[in-house]
Amino acid sequence: MNPLASIIMSSTLISGTLITLISSHWLMAWMGLEMNMFAIIPMIMKNNSPRAIEAATKYFLIQASASMLLLMAASLNFMYSGQWTLTEMNVSMASLIMLIAMLMKLGMAPFHFWVPEVTQGTVLLTSLIILTWQKLAPLAILFQIAPSINVNIILTTAILSILIGGWGGLNQTQLRKIMAYSSIAHMGWMAAVMIYNPTLMLLNLLLYLIFTFSAFTILIKCSSTSTSMLTMTWNSYPLMVSVLLIILLSMGGLPPLTGFVPKWLIIYELIKNTNIAMTLTMSILALLNLFFYLRLIYASSLTLFPTSSNLKFKWKINTPNKMYFLPTMVSISLLFLPVSPMILMLN
Amino acid sequence: MVKFILFMMSVLFVVSFVGFSCKPSPIYGGLGLIIGGGVGCGVVLYFGGAFLGLMVFLVYLGGMLVVFGYTTAMATEEFPEIWMSSTTVMGSLCLGLLAEGLIVVYLKGGDEKMWGAESLVMFSGEEVGFIREDYLAGSILYSGGNWMLLLSGWCLFVSVFIVMEITRGR
Repeated sequence: MNPLASIIMSSTLISGTLITLISSHWLMAWMGLEMNMFAIIPMIMKNNSPRAIEAATKYFLIQASASMLLLMAASLNFMYSGQWTLTEMNVSMASLIMLIAMLMKLGMAPFHFWVPEVTQGTVLLTSLIILTWQKLAPLAILFQIAPSINVNIILTTAILSILIGGWGGLNQTQLRKIMAYSSIAHMGWMAAVMIYNPTLMLLNLLLYLIFTFSAFTILIKCSSTSTSMLTMTWNSYPLMVSVLLIILLSMGGLPPLTGFVPKWLIIYELIKNTNIAMTLTMSILALLNLFFYLRLIYASSLTLFPTSSNLKFKWKINTPNKMYFLPTMVSISLLFLPVSPMILMLN
Repeated sequence: MVKFILFMMSVLFVVSFVGFSCKPSPIYGGLGLIIGGGVGCGVVLYFGGAFLGLMVFLVYLGGMLVVFGYTTAMATEEFPEIWMSSTTVMGSLCLGLLAEGLIVVYLKGGDEKMWGAESLVMFSGEEVGFIREDYLAGSILYSGGNWMLLLSGWCLFVSVFIVMEITRGR
């Protein structure tokens, strides 16, 4: 893309999310979401293959329908309560429609079908943006309407998302689809705790962003988009496969890594609200996620698949010079668990 | 009587949208938007917004739809998809009209009063002012609503770039 057009798209993307985050009127929130959506469409279509065009079309149709539902919910809220404030969503029907609109935008079950297809249809960097930056604005809206969300719908969606995110990712070999299903499952965990303690949802979001960003950075640097390509990275970037092990185990929620903190706190919060059966189901379904992360670790670092190279390492190791904060993110993924009492104080 | 006209205009608005959202050839889109834009202006004019209604007629119908009509005429194909040409199009057209008919019957509910719009709109009270609200709103956009104006202008500017990037092709 022309550099000027690229700068315009990126700045619109960033400012769209910021406008939604700082807005208090529904119209400005909608406008930020629309700016977000239409700025990312040419970024999805950048390589102009039919696959990318199809991914952009699917993304546009889903997000446009969700924006229409958002406008309808905001108008209904205005009709029955007479005000446009983002935090005062007092009309239950409007709150329900707004919840459905945000679930469509986030790609949570049962509106999850677009996430793997759109993530697979485009390059790794754009799918990283779709899975991380595009989640901020809808989650900010859900955070602000959290007191009025219909409990049954959001808990049903949460458990379905964790189930579908875990189960759907089991049969995948393409890494972008694996990350898409992982995103669906993490959104399910965030939705489950949103009505009980929205701050924990923000903590889970922050850690999910760190893990996903690190995983995608490694995949971009190794230029690998499928599991079989990941098996060949050990002799080009040997340190990165160990780092990928840490990040994936942390995403799976294993103590003593940081990924255990959000799951632990969410389970604690749900149990405090006497929601024990669902907590048990969620914990068991998180194992499905862990299984396919372990399969990736098995393929990349725990075992060496047969390759054409007979040497242990390549004779020339080119270190990538731009690491996009990967060491910081990995340190956080590895070592942040002892900081969790301080995070609990933020409540 | 005039409220009945308002109700009929709203129904015609939805029917014109149904007419092109069953995806026939784009020239039907032009037809649907002309009718829909016209009756939409009628609805706005009923509620007293003369300036905005006439602005929609002038800019939307007279500017954008004219350009749309010319480009569709340039890009038209030999056997366009009409409303009766395939089961899909005719089926979705009938489904849309049926849904609209059911909603009309539901809203009427056997009560003559329901032809009006009392249940559908909130009245904000009769205030006496010196300036009509639509002219006032048009000027507030440039003074107190400068952030909104900037954003709208930026979005329209960006949309040109986006359309150019999307239709660039290989």
